[in-house]
Amino acid sequence: MTKTTIPIGPQHPLLKEPISLNIDISGEDVLGGSLRIGYVHRGIERLAQERTYVQNVHLIERICGICSHVHTTTYCYAVESLLGVEIPVRAQYIRALMCELERIHSHLLWFGILAKHVGLEMVFMHSWHNREIVLDIMEALSGGRVIHAANQIGGVRFDLDAEREAMVRNMLHKLEEQVGGVLDGIVHETSIRARTRGVAPITAEQIRQYCVVGPVARASGVDVDMRRDDPLPPYDRLDFNVITHQDGDAWARTMVRVEETRESLKLCEMILDQMPGGPVTTRVSRKVPAGETVVRSEAPRGEVFYYLRSVGSDHPARLKIRTPTLAALSLIPVQLSEIQVADIPVVLAGIDLCIACADR
Amino acid sequence: MNEETMLSKLKTVAGSEVVRLATVRNEVVFSIPVEKWVDVVSALVEDWGIYHLSAITLQQREESPEEIEVMYHFWHGLGVTFRLAVPVDRPELPSIIAIIPGADFYEREAAEMFGIVFKGREETPPLLLPDDWDQGPPLRRKETDD
Repeated sequence: MTKTTIPIGPQHPLLKEPISLNIDISGEDVLGGSLRIGYVHRGIERLAQERTYVQNVHLIERICGICSHVHTTTYCYAVESLLGVEIPVRAQYIRALMCELERIHSHLLWFGILAKHVGLEMVFMHSWHNREIVLDIMEALSGGRVIHAANQIGGVRFDLDAEREAMVRNMLHKLEEQVGGVLDGIVHETSIRARTRGVAPITAEQIRQYCVVGPVARASGVDVDMRRDDPLPPYDRLDFNVITHQDGDAWARTMVRVEETRESLKLCEMILDQMPGGPVTTRVSRKVPAGETVVRSEAPRGEVFYYLRSVGSDHPARLKIRTPTLAALSLIPVQLSEIQVADIPVVLAGIDLCIACADR
Repeated sequence: MNEETMLSKLKTVAGSEVVRLATVRNEVVFSIPVEKWVDVVSALVEDWGIYHLSAITLQQREESPEEIEVMYHFWHGLGVTFRLAVPVDRPELPSIIAIIPGADFYEREAAEMFGIVFKGREETPPLLLPDDWDQGPPLRRKETDD
């Protein structure tokens, strides 16, 4: 049968973000594929060099529309480490609470996308309905649903009083009740299993070769999580499990995210229980002493990497950002082979791409 | 593997020019001569099990704008950074994608943003910039940069 190349994107109803895919098929068999990104490249690394450290908090938050908070958290820790400042413990806990809420929101969004791709409209609806509760919690805390502006250099921008903490706990309980049903549904639903089991397996060796991180790596048995391996405070004081799976297929990637969502729900409760009183900000200088630093943290999609160098002025000399999706993207051409056309959405969804993150 | 062991192992592979520069936060930084880089990467991946490349950072420092500094940040339970330097007027580096296929996108980004020529790979197609970009590598130091 002859080879046909199907171009998808950069503008296509199937895609939520602009990426260009060229997929080679022969009948129902996928032979290979290539991809091109850069359609939402904003030159953030260069822009950051031309803005002050304080302005950059707002710029960095706009790298991603899903994991915006983890970017500013990582950036702020990098600046604070050059400043030699340790932020108040209460602020560390508030940052972590937002990070875990963001992980739940990101994973719930992903379950919805997967369900939509395999034709399970109901799971999509329930999953996104629950995501709304998470967004409501984040809005109640910070005032923002997607762009939270929770971080500032030296701490966080808001505090929780007793009334708001009780409200957040109530909302978390409601979320836990409802989301438990959706997660059980995903685990036991036979059609998700049928569409993902054995599809596009990635071996641990491939994960290592392509430097892939996060839930995709853990689903192939590579036990890595920056929250445990290079913890930013307060993760060194929190007790949680790093979820791994051995199968490496689309099903394993789903199961890892299901269990991670449950762990994050537990973590939210734990953070609220452990959170000490005290201030949430500390005063810092606008100019940052000369030096360089590297900070890694665990975004919903895996390791985020920041390199920051200062020459002693009020703006960075160099800011390098590597997002987890950029690491995972190089695996896609490898995955787009020995599958069927109907598996393409499951393969693409399985990686959980965030193109805006990759493009920066 | 602690810093001392790694330094002595690096010296056996890449000679006495290897220097431990600093420890920033919990990242150890070594300086490696460009001509020994492929040998070092092979040893890292095949012999020492250090395979995870987090990122490649490039920059031109204010004090030495005539060279491009290239940093390969690895992770093996601890962060380790290898720092290389290439002259701006001859920015050539050996490609490592034959050993670490995951370095492909990072090399492409380095090629378009700083104009690095990677030897040993066929081409470095644009990753983030438009296909018809003709204004030179955008992250290179400009005269207006202070």
